[in-house]
Amino acid sequence: MKYAKKLMSLTMGVALGMGVLAGCAAKPAETSKPADEPKAVAETPAEAPEKTNEPVTLKIYAQYSDDDTKIPYDYAVQELAKAYPNVKLELDIQAQDDGQKLQTYAATGNLPDIFQVGLSQIETFKKSGNIMVLNDAAQKSGFIDKVHEGSKVNLYNEDGNIYAFPYAGNELVVWYYNKELFEKYNVEVPKTYDELLEAVKVFKENDVIPMSVFAKEGWITTALYDAIAVRYDAGGIDKLDKGQGKASDEAYTSAAKKLNELVKAGLLPDGVTNLNYDQAAALFYEGKAAMFLNGQWEIEASTQKLGDKADWMYYPAADEASYEASKTVWAGGGAPGGYAVNPNSPNKELAAEVAAFISEKYCEAKYKLRSNPMLALKVDASITPEKPFSPMMERLAKEIPNITSTTKFAWGLSNQPLKKSIEEQTQFLCTPQYTAEEFIQEIDKVIDRTNK
Amino acid sequence: MKKFFSDKVAITVFTLPALLIFTVMIFIPILQVFWNSFFEWDGLSEGLFIGIDNYIRLFDDKAFYIANKNGFIFAAIITVLQIVLATFFAIAVANSKIKGRRFFRIAYFIPVVLSVTVVCQLWLSIYNADTGLLNKFFEAIGSDYRQNWLSDRNKAIMAIAVVNAWQWMGYVFALILAGIKSIPNSYYEAAQIDGASDFKAHTKITIPLLAETYKFCLILSVTGGIKAFTEMFIMTGGGPGNSTYTLTYLMYTSAFKSGEFGYGLAAATVLVLECLIAIIVINKLFKQDAQMN
Repeated sequence: MKYAKKLMSLTMGVALGMGVLAGCAAKPAETSKPADEPKAVAETPAEAPEKTNEPVTLKIYAQYSDDDTKIPYDYAVQELAKAYPNVKLELDIQAQDDGQKLQTYAATGNLPDIFQVGLSQIETFKKSGNIMVLNDAAQKSGFIDKVHEGSKVNLYNEDGNIYAFPYAGNELVVWYYNKELFEKYNVEVPKTYDELLEAVKVFKENDVIPMSVFAKEGWITTALYDAIAVRYDAGGIDKLDKGQGKASDEAYTSAAKKLNELVKAGLLPDGVTNLNYDQAAALFYEGKAAMFLNGQWEIEASTQKLGDKADWMYYPAADEASYEASKTVWAGGGAPGGYAVNPNSPNKELAAEVAAFISEKYCEAKYKLRSNPMLALKVDASITPEKPFSPMMERLAKEIPNITSTTKFAWGLSNQPLKKSIEEQTQFLCTPQYTAEEFIQEIDKVIDRTNK
Repeated sequence: MKKFFSDKVAITVFTLPALLIFTVMIFIPILQVFWNSFFEWDGLSEGLFIGIDNYIRLFDDKAFYIANKNGFIFAAIITVLQIVLATFFAIAVANSKIKGRRFFRIAYFIPVVLSVTVVCQLWLSIYNADTGLLNKFFEAIGSDYRQNWLSDRNKAIMAIAVVNAWQWMGYVFALILAGIKSIPNSYYEAAQIDGASDFKAHTKITIPLLAETYKFCLILSVTGGIKAFTEMFIMTGGGPGNSTYTLTYLMYTSAFKSGEFGYGLAAATVLVLECLIAIIVINKLFKQDAQMN
């Protein structure tokens, strides 16, 4: 028995020793190099991909969850079948998981040939060599020439390279309102925060929710804060992302205090941080909420549900003069992103070509089938939308050439810790218990740390 | 049998597979978590060794203290609710005089077999600030105690803990009921002859004899509370803000939302240590109690 105990001890010792060694050998390997040295893989030079008729199946990881993503994707696939009959796409539907699935694919060497990415993932994949530089492919396919001048920001990364073929243009945060409710209660469309506070008071007295927001999602609370912040500083959250501003700066402090004041006055419904899109949108569509915040892609759904009753307004400002002066400044905007290519794909050249093609056709479908003019690429003049633009979209389309500056949506922020923090903190700010001071302190802490 | 236990080859053959699986599946990953917590690492690229910087930052992070406070509140609520209610129900169901025992036994266990997602959706409806059953109930009885159950930075964690306690009470109930059934009836008969009331018989016989079961239930509840994640992920997304964070949630958001895996692993290391400490303390307490008895 004594011998058996010794044997057991030895076995356990060996097993533990193996464990320690294996643990020590695990990634990440220690390095003295700075962690952010880019490693994105450049294209293999010069050699043009040979066009063969051999059937090729490319895996693609793309959004495919609602009409706004399914219709353009299906259209692009149909067009691809005509232009590249030998190429078949195998779709892996993108999960709404902050990129976890894609990150896991990258970590395990299972990235699909083509995948949709946002800016923060581009930054991470650049460092680990999991994204292909598409400069040559963009040049050869003529993609660069097709990009709207104003959407070049969606094409080029800060380092000057192209990592993804964009399709979305500079999308905007739009402040919708129900004209009928405003007329019914004799409320003027607010130009200033004082008028907005007065409107909140009137709507609350009449059991109407002043504004519906799906605050369960952090990006929309960030957009709400940004829509207020741009009225104090046109840079909005983009400036915070670039490290050019802090939450304790006067403009951002004023925005936080104003949002806090509006929330305390009852701008948002009870339990707003638990409202998802369907619940929040239903409040607006059913005439229970007077205002609603979303991107411009909401125009189609709101027009369908509310018809002429729905419209959009310029974001209110501190006073009438700044309201007039800042009408051309919008929250939202574009950032690099779109269809990227796996540099380790055995068909990477073809994948790059297909990614550019899909992106172009995706834009075409959005314009033609979804009546959406806010695209990264120019659409052939011969193509016309199947349905005419809704009055709201017409009005917005007229505004677009006058826009002097945009900021970013939360998903376009390159500073990932700031993105996480600002989403959380703006959601917190949508509850009456939170203070602007707490918000400022937490955001500044992240900005100070990440800009060191 | 004695010969079998003295057979060294048999001991080695039978223990080695389990030992290897434990080492590979549990021990090595824990060591990796600990080692990687000393790196600035995004989960993909090569990490940069930064010593204990992640831990220094962790102890300076407000979210870390919120997460710990929530872990303890969560653990305390589920421990009290699950163990107290499960004991009460198990004693009642074990009593042959109670009618419909079979029905109650099944009814208490039903939430355990439901999916967590289903349970969370059910309670999301109950907690809804406008249309939820709970606020409607207060309204119906003429009380103005309407609450934003899941949007209140102080109450949200308690509301979520109740959901977990409700779902898993049946599991603790089943363990305690099995324990009660293993106690010989003759003990209760002897107590009855000595003139002990039912209450006294349970406090002097049932509960002391279930010490080991209670120890196990306590470990499950306390560690379950400290490492809670699923309910807040589904019901509040950690919000409002970070007010329903636990250490597991902090680890998750740091790794997958901020892309700071090293920092997330530092939180995971503290989580593992907290669970280990809780287990050691509970074992010590029960050991002391057994020695005193």
